[in-house]
Amino acid sequence: MGWSAMRPEAALPLVNRGTAEVICYRPAGPMTVGRLLGEARALAARLPATGHAINLCADRYRMLLGFVAALMRGHPTLLNADASPHRLRALAEAYPGAYLLTDKPVASGLPLVLVEDDTAEEWTGPAPMLPARQLAAIAFTSGSTGQPTAHLKPWDALVAAALAAAERFALRPGDGAASSVLATVPPQHMYGFETTIMLPLQAALACHAGEAFFPSDVLDALDALPERRLLVTTPLHLRALLAEHRRPATLAAVISATAPLAMNMAEAVERDWGAPMLEIYGASEAGSMASRRTALEPDWLPYSGIRMGQGDVHVPGLGAVPLTDAVEPAPGGRFRLLGRRADLVKLGGRRASLAELNRVLAEVAGVEDGVFVAPEDIERNPAARLSAYAVAPGRTTEEILAALRLRLEPVFLPRPLVLVPALPRNGLGKLTRAALDGLRLAMAAP
Amino acid sequence: MPDGTMTPTAIASGLTPQELDVARLIVSALSLEVAPEAIEPEAPLFNEGLGLDSIDALEMALAVSKAYDVKLRSDDERNHRIFASLRSLTAHIEKHRTR
Repeated sequence: MGWSAMRPEAALPLVNRGTAEVICYRPAGPMTVGRLLGEARALAARLPATGHAINLCADRYRMLLGFVAALMRGHPTLLNADASPHRLRALAEAYPGAYLLTDKPVASGLPLVLVEDDTAEEWTGPAPMLPARQLAAIAFTSGSTGQPTAHLKPWDALVAAALAAAERFALRPGDGAASSVLATVPPQHMYGFETTIMLPLQAALACHAGEAFFPSDVLDALDALPERRLLVTTPLHLRALLAEHRRPATLAAVISATAPLAMNMAEAVERDWGAPMLEIYGASEAGSMASRRTALEPDWLPYSGIRMGQGDVHVPGLGAVPLTDAVEPAPGGRFRLLGRRADLVKLGGRRASLAELNRVLAEVAGVEDGVFVAPEDIERNPAARLSAYAVAPGRTTEEILAALRLRLEPVFLPRPLVLVPALPRNGLGKLTRAALDGLRLAMAAP
Repeated sequence: MPDGTMTPTAIASGLTPQELDVARLIVSALSLEVAPEAIEPEAPLFNEGLGLDSIDALEMALAVSKAYDVKLRSDDERNHRIFASLRSLTAHIEKHRTR
């Protein structure tokens, strides 16, 4: 029975699994649900009485531990991986009483609780129940201007999404041997949070605890995990992994999200790795909404309970959430993605509006006019970068970049930033693509 | 564009020939708007120095693997030191290169 057919519950279990089941693989060995809950109970006792948890842990077990401890105390977790002092200050202002949960020392003025290895008594008996509407997490969409937007995630919405994903990827209890999952995305990103924190709590899946970033790390870590393995990654990482020409350990599936996956990469995974290549369509606001097997299916199949509308999507536990993509219905209950609103660009899993970026550039002291340009291949090339043109007499590119660095996420910094005497604006003050292309060619000429 | 030969500027820049090779590799792999000779050998590669980010880190791992058959890793405690600067990255490559 799908989630949508179930009656709303007043309380839902924190963990939907037995205490003897493995929830995480650490270098020291497998960690069971009972161990996690026991350690979380001990950590929860050390947390402040009230507040919001900024969980910066890079080790996925400790991220999980901190999240569960905060849930036990009724504290929402702020899904933020940015440990820069100005970001932490901004969060502390927006969420009075915010404290840090970290596994490494962090310089900040905020209260800090270190998440360390513990030898707490194991949890026995039934899992704790949480109020269905408890605010469990807050996700952020970065925006380009350093003013992130918050998206509230009640516990029932997170659980519904995890159960729907488990159903889609055949991870429900009884579907077969417990699976392991390794992710190249941080657990503070909504996609990484759903697949490596929420899924292990609600489905028969154990996450790999360590950081795996470079291709060799990822391939070695997969070797060390037990079957059935899932690899949760992005087009950017897949491109680097495929370039290694080393076949990974047998994979139950590879899952990609955050950007459209090129067909040749999907085909390479299916052919060279012998694994189904699946894509998830999701957004920080709504969470995961649909999936497809890219090489075989052009259209997306919504998760159980998800209803795609015109301009919005109905999500269990969240209601109607606006969409940044245009979609159209396709046969078999599926939908087709028609593309992003032209003003939005997405790089390295982060979104920005070109209009906002242009505004930030224009606000740099000494900049009289400026424009950001997205490359033609931005939807296909995972390593694509923006460029920018600026009119700024007397200023250097280094000075302007230094000013932009204070205001923008690093992935949106222009590469290159080109200083020009004037922008080719037409009679209406508009910049056409053709005029900008002409400018680029003129600047490239010797 | 890198052409594989030493130039007088390179010698003046304070980079060793090996560092210059790695600098050229980085500049070309990441399409940086900086002359390889202009990279400060001791300046941080990431954040405030050259301003590289995680997309660059992956691109750099690809390029270093292809050119030197050296695999960069993140589970390594020394990782922060390896990526601290062009000089430390070059030293790591020189120690582990097989071609």
